[in-house]
Amino acid sequence: MKKLKLATVWLDGCSGCHMSLLDLDGAIIPIVRKVDIVYGPLVDAQEFPEDVDVTLLEGAISTQEDVEKLQQIRSRTKLLVSLGDCAVTGNVSGMRNGIPVNKLLQQIYVDGADLGGCIPGDGLPQLAKQARPAQDFVKVDICLPGCPPPNKVIAGFLNNLLDGRKPETNAKVKFG
Amino acid sequence: MPRIEDIGAFNAVRETGLAKLTPSVPRIAIGMGTCGRGNGAEGLYHAFLEVIERSGTDFYLTNVGCFGACYQEPLVNVRVPGSPLLILHRIQANDAGRIVHDIATGTINPELVYCKIEEWDHITGSIRYGHGYPEVPLWNEVPFFKGQKKIVLRNCGLINPDDIEEYIAVGGYQALYKTLIDDKPESVIEQIKASKLRGRGGAGFLAGNKWEFLRKAVADQKFIICNADEGDPGAYMNRNEIESDPHSLLEGMIIGGYVMGASQGIVYVRAEYPLAVHRLNRAVEQAREYGLLGDNILGRGFNFDIQLVEGAGAFVCGEETALIASLEGEAGRPRPRPPFPAQKGLWGKPSNINNVETWYNIAPIITRGPAWFTETGSAKSSGTKVFSLVGKVHNSGLVEMPMGTPIKTFIYDIGGGGLDGRSIKAVQTGGPSGGCIPGEMFDTPVDYESLAQLGAIMGSGGMVVMDEDNCMVDVARYFVEFTNSESCGKCIPCRVGLNKFLRILNRITLGSGQMDQLERLDELSRYIRDCSLCGLGQTAPNPVLTTMRHFRQEFEDHIVSHRCVAGICAELALAPCENSCPLHMNIPRFLELYKEGRMEDAFESVIMDNPLPCSTGRVCQHPCGKRCRRQTIDDPVNMREVHRFIADQILLTDRFEDAARRVAARKLETTGRKIAVAGAGPAGLTAAFYLALLGHDVTVFDSLPEAGGMLRFALPEYRLPKPVLRREIELIERLGVKFILNTRVGFDISLNDLDEQFDAVCLAIGTWKESWVYLPGTELKGVLPALTFLEAVSKREAVNLGRKVVVIGGGNAAIDSARTALRLGASVTVAYRRERKDMPAIEEETLAAEEEGAKIVFLSAPHRIIGDAKGNVKALEVVHTRLGEYDRSGRRKPVLTDQVQLLDCDSVIVAVGETVDLDFAKASGLQIKDGSTIEVDHFTLETSRPHFFAGGDLVTGASNVSGAMGYGKQAARAIDRQLMDAERWELLFRPLHYGQTPPKEPSESGRHHSHAVPARERANSFDEVTFGLSPEETHEECCRCLRCDAAVEVSR
Amino acid sequence: MPQKKISLRIDGELVNAVEGQTILDATRASGKSIPTLCFLEGLSPVGACRLCMVEVSGIDRLFPACTTPAQDGMAVATTSARLSRYRRMTIELLLVERNHVCAVCVANGHCELQTMAYNMGITSVRFAYNFPRLPVDLTHPRFVLDHNRCILCTRCVRTCAEIEGAHVWEMISRGIHARIVPDLNQKWGDARTCTNCGKCVQACPTGALAEKGKAMEEMVRSTTAITSLAHRRGAAV
Repeated sequence: MKKLKLATVWLDGCSGCHMSLLDLDGAIIPIVRKVDIVYGPLVDAQEFPEDVDVTLLEGAISTQEDVEKLQQIRSRTKLLVSLGDCAVTGNVSGMRNGIPVNKLLQQIYVDGADLGGCIPGDGLPQLAKQARPAQDFVKVDICLPGCPPPNKVIAGFLNNLLDGRKPETNAKVKFG
Repeated sequence: MPRIEDIGAFNAVRETGLAKLTPSVPRIAIGMGTCGRGNGAEGLYHAFLEVIERSGTDFYLTNVGCFGACYQEPLVNVRVPGSPLLILHRIQANDAGRIVHDIATGTINPELVYCKIEEWDHITGSIRYGHGYPEVPLWNEVPFFKGQKKIVLRNCGLINPDDIEEYIAVGGYQALYKTLIDDKPESVIEQIKASKLRGRGGAGFLAGNKWEFLRKAVADQKFIICNADEGDPGAYMNRNEIESDPHSLLEGMIIGGYVMGASQGIVYVRAEYPLAVHRLNRAVEQAREYGLLGDNILGRGFNFDIQLVEGAGAFVCGEETALIASLEGEAGRPRPRPPFPAQKGLWGKPSNINNVETWYNIAPIITRGPAWFTETGSAKSSGTKVFSLVGKVHNSGLVEMPMGTPIKTFIYDIGGGGLDGRSIKAVQTGGPSGGCIPGEMFDTPVDYESLAQLGAIMGSGGMVVMDEDNCMVDVARYFVEFTNSESCGKCIPCRVGLNKFLRILNRITLGSGQMDQLERLDELSRYIRDCSLCGLGQTAPNPVLTTMRHFRQEFEDHIVSHRCVAGICAELALAPCENSCPLHMNIPRFLELYKEGRMEDAFESVIMDNPLPCSTGRVCQHPCGKRCRRQTIDDPVNMREVHRFIADQILLTDRFEDAARRVAARKLETTGRKIAVAGAGPAGLTAAFYLALLGHDVTVFDSLPEAGGMLRFALPEYRLPKPVLRREIELIERLGVKFILNTRVGFDISLNDLDEQFDAVCLAIGTWKESWVYLPGTELKGVLPALTFLEAVSKREAVNLGRKVVVIGGGNAAIDSARTALRLGASVTVAYRRERKDMPAIEEETLAAEEEGAKIVFLSAPHRIIGDAKGNVKALEVVHTRLGEYDRSGRRKPVLTDQVQLLDCDSVIVAVGETVDLDFAKASGLQIKDGSTIEVDHFTLETSRPHFFAGGDLVTGASNVSGAMGYGKQAARAIDRQLMDAERWELLFRPLHYGQTPPKEPSESGRHHSHAVPARERANSFDEVTFGLSPEETHEECCRCLRCDAAVEVSR
Repeated sequence: MPQKKISLRIDGELVNAVEGQTILDATRASGKSIPTLCFLEGLSPVGACRLCMVEVSGIDRLFPACTTPAQDGMAVATTSARLSRYRRMTIELLLVERNHVCAVCVANGHCELQTMAYNMGITSVRFAYNFPRLPVDLTHPRFVLDHNRCILCTRCVRTCAEIEGAHVWEMISRGIHARIVPDLNQKWGDARTCTNCGKCVQACPTGALAEKGKAMEEMVRSTTAITSLAHRRGAAV
């Protein structure tokens, strides 16, 4: 049987959603047998491949680079899933949104530094004015909120998908 | 002054008042409403005072309120004993001396006189002023007042609002007297109910029922409240009513108090209306002094007092429960109903709230009876309604019309139509709670039900007129911005829903909207309407729902093609001229480039925007001029002649070769795609030009022996010399476009063949089929269609017209035919059924035809063509028309009279319009719209058949050169996008940098017109009749541009 | 005075009520539920959240169940496709209006807004988040006011006025800028009318009012305490 091509993406988030994914315990084994993880922090691929079946997206969209990545992911993915509150609502990543970016950086990297603070610049993507959820930029097919989404929710969703049922989670999901 | 306690005292006051209204000396009264004062009425008053003092003559100088014609302010009433009251308009302080002198000598300067009043029905009384001044129109003969019926405004502008005696003189407080003497409150309520008077605040609840509720409520105290919290943008009826006639309000409320058993009245009036507050306070004091307010009113033992409360201007306080909260000293936030105010209102006591205007109708109903009242208006909406007619309308002011009057009467008859002859797009009634009604629906009668059906509401009476310069998306956004900031914040649909609404609309006006947001707006609208707590939220979506319903195209234009047709949304329009040009030529750019002396760049700017600039430079309808902001100073910039000059200097000289090479250099790499263009007219040539530049292999088919379409075969040589057109086509040929002539698409080559041989097909066939008038006698020899005639002349075929020619029609084809016939030696008469200003032909052309000797008879509709025994045309019989009602285009419909005229002639040229010959499209898979045009997608111009696109007259019906070319351009872009699956359009254009500084001061020079050959010389020749501008004049025209396009940094 | 008995149909079922009861009273008394946020039994209803809108047969308009009196013979529908759409819309709009970062909220797991979203199966919103910048008032020695979480239900305002009788809270500003403020826009710590009773905190449906020292998920509260206080007060009067 052809394996499902699964990508996971980690943008502006804490990796907690990925942890929750790994936290599937025994349930992960039958799932892993049926999928190819083609991209993400768990594997080595450098470029987001074409024709991905499902992408699990963690994190908010915080830079122009994120936006471009997201657009590429969308154009190469059949089913895009926002995994966790940051991707769905902005969540903790979005708590900075009321504060102007330069003031924010100043507070954290200069005023908050123990010694010799400076705002990191070189080669780093510039922070956008706000960290926003993925659906502000592209069409998102499924949202699995939660901080992180409980492992049961993720497992339920993946099993539905792999067994050819409607791709949704059976359990109700809460924000937070 | 003693208190009035009996009829004798009443009559004594009345006599005193009458002596002031019709004194034995001349009376001069200055219109001192806010509108009058804003136009200098106070200075005028002092000027009169001074002049009168100096003259030593006896005059009675006083103030009145506003008579309604706010656009004519300052108004001055002048009345000499025994003569009619004259209303003078637009009076300046320095006119005072002259007027006083004139009155003394018994003359009057007719220029200053607006109208006269011989007798006036104050409803509660009447005044006879006298007869005279036969040359002056009666007030209701002036268009602005024609049909108006002043019940609410019965005293406005005629009596001194600060003088209770004048109010009593015209029958004021008689209704109160009658009510108290009769002492039958139930029967008063029955009368109000029988009058079917509906609340004038907007919702239209029956006032009589509301009164009955309060009368039946049992409580130790009840309140009567007048809602004078008028807050709609553009509405100022209530302000004006109170300023001009405060006692009518008091009288209505005192009657209400008596009938409903209340002892306290409150007027909740906006603090922003200081003059109204001042006059109302004064009126309250006077009423108390005369025993009409306070304890023991009119000696009948009834106690009632009125208190004024100034509102802080929150719009939501127009909502009765919020108003009550505000009166109680709380923040003005509405409360849920039930309980209704009639059960639990102010301080928990039963209360009645009515709008200012409702109260003004009470005394008339009591005086004249409900049967009299219901005579006016429509079945369900009786009486009149006052509107403030404002916005893009010629005559603005307060208008009181019977309910049920059609909107068009307001706009065209009273309002006098659009400003500067612009066409009116919509009217907005009911302010932020109302909706926009499009021009097509101006037949709608103005009453509660009819307006509600259109999604608008009557509202308190604002009527804001909008023309083509108003962007309907922006209008919707504006009103939502208003309601969003006025929302009290209590309920979620209004607080958050409107905020989301505004954010979405903002995005659309900035050009970053998405189509699915329209659905979201729709969904939000329903939610806010159905779920909000009070009227503010429930009605706030109306402006959006109605604009989306009636002007959806404008929303889609903003979202899909990033265009704001009206040119209001700054992000989506460069300048009004560019925006109105069907080709979207960057006009300010070529003006600036020429001004900077960069001829080559100016030409590049022109040719890359418009491949036929010499032709359009001569024959374009120049819609750009209509929108040019320079005309607010003097006249529009002559943009057509500038681009003609630039193009002529290059294309018609030895610089052609070089220019052709430069244009060809912009060509993109060959794509290998083959495209067929059907029709070598302006639309087809334009499409071919851009498609070739985009690297495609283009073949143009045309049924005629030469390319150019109408430009070649319909436009006469004297307007557009054929060698000029030839040059432009040559340039297009240089880009590799192939022409296959004498080949009719659909006949000589089938659409299926085209489909097989080409990757895409662009249909750009013109309107070559003549519309025909079905008159007796069209079969006679000597009757010919205009296009057939023009085509024959352009092919230099012999046409025998005889000596006298009559042309039927008023469009460009009619004028072209007339001027061509003149050149063939005939004498020419043009018969047109409407007026000169309604002619679709270019105005300059019409004037030129007349200079050359053509005679135009207006208001003449063809009736029959009379022939002689041999079957030749002998004469055309026309029926004279008169102007009837306004039609949807805002022009008055010609109505036939029985007056007939014979126009002798040897031939008749029929030029009443053209249509597309759709025979080619039979069984082609192309969907036809309304039997006359091809159905296409508005944005991509795709037809129902894959790979087939259509543009120009084929899609719009007969239009004009630039309109057709605009379609050609749009089609080329759409075809390329589809074939190449990419947006490559911008690659064609080299960035041209040019000055971005607007002139500090507008340049002094006036508009330059193209130089013309004297009429006598040109009328016998087919040589070109205009030379265009000189280089210096062109430069001056460029300098006249105000640079609406320049992005100026605004420092905040 | 014995109250007049009436009967009405709620979702097709015949329900008995007494005159003066609202549709919400009658519905809840019959064991059914209608979602509400601004309503709290014992406080005067204000009809602000519009979640309890119901359909009344024969009338096109919707009615807030919390303020509309039940009438004899009335037929009420408490659910319908339209009502669900509108209720969902209300919750979505509340979620985007301010910064409801459930993950780090003291009321996480005990929040009526969060629960409502959960019950409606809302996993994302269709509107852009506002992300407003809002202050947190930490000046009171025992309590916190976090405007980021406030949904302007005014339960605190009414609890303070109607149960405690202190009238500390009021709503200031208009529209989207409206906020809850103590003592004519003082800092809570400076509000001299505040009796520190904490009833407002118990009444709050979200994490807007909380006890100090509570960490995420720890702010458990008892709105029933407010209701029973109200009833006791009502009995005493």
